Amino acid sequence: MKTGSWVLPSKRFKQRILWTFLCSMVLIGISFFIGFNPTSLFTDFHYVWEVIGEMLPPDFSGLWKSPAWIIAIGETISMAFLGTVIGSSLSLILAFLCAKNTMPFSWIRILVLSFLTSLRSIPTLTFLMIFVIAVGIGPFSGFLTLLIITLGTFARLFSETIENIDPKPSESIESVGAGNLQIIRFAILPEILPNFIANILFSFDVNIRTAIALGVLGGGGIGYQFDEAMRVLHYRQAMAVVFIIILLIIPMEKVSDYQRKKLLGPGLIS
Amino acid sequence: MKIREIDLKRYRKGIIPVLILAGLVFWTAKICNLNFNHILSGFWKGFEFTLKMFPPDLSTLPELIEPALVTLSEALLGTVFGTLLSIPLAVLAASNTSSPWIRNLVRFFISLERALPEIIIALILVAAVGLGVLPGILSLTLGCLGMMGKLLADSIEEVDPSSLEAIQSVGARKAQVIYYGVIPNLIPKITSYALFRFEINVRLSLILGAVGAGGIGYNLVYAFNMIEYHKAMTAVILIALIVFGSERISFFLRNKIKMEASLK
Repeated sequence: MKTGSWVLPSKRFKQRILWTFLCSMVLIGISFFIGFNPTSLFTDFHYVWEVIGEMLPPDFSGLWKSPAWIIAIGETISMAFLGTVIGSSLSLILAFLCAKNTMPFSWIRILVLSFLTSLRSIPTLTFLMIFVIAVGIGPFSGFLTLLIITLGTFARLFSETIENIDPKPSESIESVGAGNLQIIRFAILPEILPNFIANILFSFDVNIRTAIALGVLGGGGIGYQFDEAMRVLHYRQAMAVVFIIILLIIPMEKVSDYQRKKLLGPGLIS
Repeated sequence: MKIREIDLKRYRKGIIPVLILAGLVFWTAKICNLNFNHILSGFWKGFEFTLKMFPPDLSTLPELIEPALVTLSEALLGTVFGTLLSIPLAVLAASNTSSPWIRNLVRFFISLERALPEIIIALILVAAVGLGVLPGILSLTLGCLGMMGKLLADSIEEVDPSSLEAIQSVGARKAQVIYYGVIPNLIPKITSYALFRFEINVRLSLILGAVGAGGIGYNLVYAFNMIEYHKAMTAVILIALIVFGSERISFFLRNKIKMEASLK
């Protein structure tokens, strides 16, 4: 009996083999469907090295030859900053409108929630294309897109934070006669403020990345400079832009991580 | 009168930060060439234009289905490859399973990778290997590596050391400790991060499609450029459905995993 179960593969083992087999069949099927050939990774990879070889050493002369790059860096940072500041202030207001404990009318809540959900489902690319056509290529369309993305993501997050707060402080100040707005100001706002600030920092970090990506697609800023340099095959300048982007993002990430740790305590960051 | 004074005094500390913030806002707005009156009019123009895109031209739906599936498959493959590759990377980047200098080296590469937006990687790869799904899948894989590598390495470092010591004490080698002690602890986290990343990858692969990495993003941009706005609207609706669906599925599965983990 004992030896039998030892010699035969266990049920769990068989199950595992079956699942692995099924999953790999699905993956192989998908690869065939989209015409992805994993061996081309090895046969075509030398092209990647060739391009990277052409990109080195990076040519930073764009930084001092013309002001275009400096302006582009400024545009990217300002786009992200404005999108974060205005977007998160608006999303705080929307969050109060769609949180269960601050909005007594359910129809307004459902309206705001479905608006936010549709903002999140419609891809960034669409908003950018619409704004590029409506207001033209440049940082303004990038900023409008960033504003909408920030609204969609953070309003929902803030409303969840508001719904999850401890109800006791609001109840206690309600019991001494505070109105709805006073409850929001003196009980809810102080409680969510650290979370709010931490999320603003996080959103600035995310928005800088998004601003760069939007730039490539026509939103202006440093991403646009990268796209231009790649298009006219100035690979060495493109590499310089890549270095600038890395230098822009890493400090932002460190600062945002450090501040969040300070504000929220180490355990609360996902 | 007195109450009012006390009320206002409480805000004195906030004056300087608010002034600095306002100054920064105006300065950055000037750099962006942005006039605050324009914000509303910009939104209004966008809204008017969106109305022009209605009604969607549903006759183009059949030709959009295939690119939509390509987008989804690209996201799926990128997630699977990225997840599989990120596990060994995370083991190398955690302080309790590798030596300090390897850890710092790997962590440096991970953060370097995370600092590069996927679209930049995709543009370089498109320049190297040409249009197609290969650059899309590769850059999604790399993006997945950067995020999951860091998150998984952090969670490996949080693994309870006593369980690892227990396995070591019965004579397990390093690889066995990792296989029997670390990986089983991580499985719920790996799945939930992978699902979360899948959601991100669906959105990203749309954007990558726009720069030529295949998928429906390309059709969307093409329709916009060809002034076929009704077709673009169909694509937008299809994309919104895909994104919404993948978000719901990922959310549902993640919650299920969380529930099962809490039951254990």
